Amino acid sequence: MPVTGNPFVADDLAPVTLDIDVLVGRYADRPGPTGEPAAVTAMLAANGVERAAVASLRAALFDVRSGNDEVAALAGPGVLPVGGLDLRDPLGAEREVARLAERGFRAVRLFPDEQRVEPDFPSVRHVARRATEAGLVILTGGDVRRFWRPLCGATVVFLDTHFYHLGDFVVAARDEPGFHTSTRLLNSPDALETVAAHLGVERLLYGSRTPFYEPVVPRLRLARGGLGPSAVAAVAGGNARRILGLAK
Amino acid sequence: MIIDVHAHWGPWFFSMEVGAVATNLAVMDRYGIDLAVVSATEAVIYDVAAGNRAMARVLESSDRLLGYLTVNPRRLDDAERDLRELLPTGRFVGVKIHTDYTGSPANSPQTRAALELATAHGLPALVHTWDTTPLDLAQAVADVPGARAIAGHMGANGWRHAVEAANSVDRLWLEPCFSHTEAGRFAAVAAAVDPRRLLFGTDATLIDPAAAYGAVLAADLSPELAERVAWRNAAELFRLDLP
Repeated sequence: MPVTGNPFVADDLAPVTLDIDVLVGRYADRPGPTGEPAAVTAMLAANGVERAAVASLRAALFDVRSGNDEVAALAGPGVLPVGGLDLRDPLGAEREVARLAERGFRAVRLFPDEQRVEPDFPSVRHVARRATEAGLVILTGGDVRRFWRPLCGATVVFLDTHFYHLGDFVVAARDEPGFHTSTRLLNSPDALETVAAHLGVERLLYGSRTPFYEPVVPRLRLARGGLGPSAVAAVAGGNARRILGLAK
Repeated sequence: MIIDVHAHWGPWFFSMEVGAVATNLAVMDRYGIDLAVVSATEAVIYDVAAGNRAMARVLESSDRLLGYLTVNPRRLDDAERDLRELLPTGRFVGVKIHTDYTGSPANSPQTRAALELATAHGLPALVHTWDTTPLDLAQAVADVPGARAIAGHMGANGWRHAVEAANSVDRLWLEPCFSHTEAGRFAAVAAAVDPRRLLFGTDATLIDPAAAYGAVLAADLSPELAERVAWRNAAELFRLDLP
């Protein structure tokens, strides 16, 4: 039988107008990309991502202030800087929250897994409260089944919600109107539709974790699922702009 | 033509409603998957005899599904009976072995015996692998003359070990399904192993095919290799007589 071409095609993907989960920088403890900003923005462009909420691994892993200054310098049409906080240093984190708010940041990002911080550490609740008081949206990693509790009352996007844990997210979010989830790991056949049915599509935000994850996967899932065009557009950026207070 | 070599039919214990065979077909349609080789979740997770028989009944309902007969390595008497009774249907083309749900690691004597049983019936085995276990599976395949096995998930986060495993024996195949879609994972594997050893698997209907399809898409394969991954290698492995 002759070769007939590559059967893996995707010419039906909607553009992403705001990706909520992008990083620059590197992990010292694992193989993978170095996360140079130029390479990250090129990867986003190649995958139809027009704008991204970008945080710095330098801030998360080494030095908060210089890492956040690094990401602030990337601000532009394609990059919305997100301030990284270090939960291992709650006193420094509260100072950084104030500094970031003063500089006009709209969101902060928590890295509990990378920083080996558990949800019942006092730091988590304290930093979340300070961020919320400062009017900042919280983007957070960590297991949603455990990190929901110290983040009650916040406007938060859970970046690591896996479809295995979707039921826990839904029941927690029913009582928490500020709870949202990234779509990155909601890659079961009905996860997006389950959130839309139980909570409303406004709780879903496209997140890719570029450059460490394949950004095309959540785009495919969004394009070939059961959500209509207006819902897809909301997930692909509209919802993120709404909670971040951005004009289109 | 796309063949999914790692699929399931039946419900899961998470908050999801994906157990109907109509869901299998709908999910396949979303991604242009023509044929899926499926195992019954009941057989994989709980009751192998009941699950295999339910699977046989479902296979009668669709010519787009072929079956894995699930083998619990701890219950090889059941497996011999199931093979004897269900292989004559002509709808089962391989054996499924889930090492975790059955408490039977790839390097355990019972899993090796299960591989011997599958080999005696001329069937390839899809074996769940994770982390370093592709290496254990490769050793088991090497130790069982004529055995042919697919390293399910190609080790998941342990894909670098899957590369080493696939290069250590010429009867081990790899398929990429994994809900965590690390950038560049499939491209790196495809560049490092014999192109005849690569297959396409999704884990549907547990995982949406977006994960595996996107991983392969992102690898930007040549048309020749893409066709090998999509169906040619699977057709050869399962000895399918395709139109």
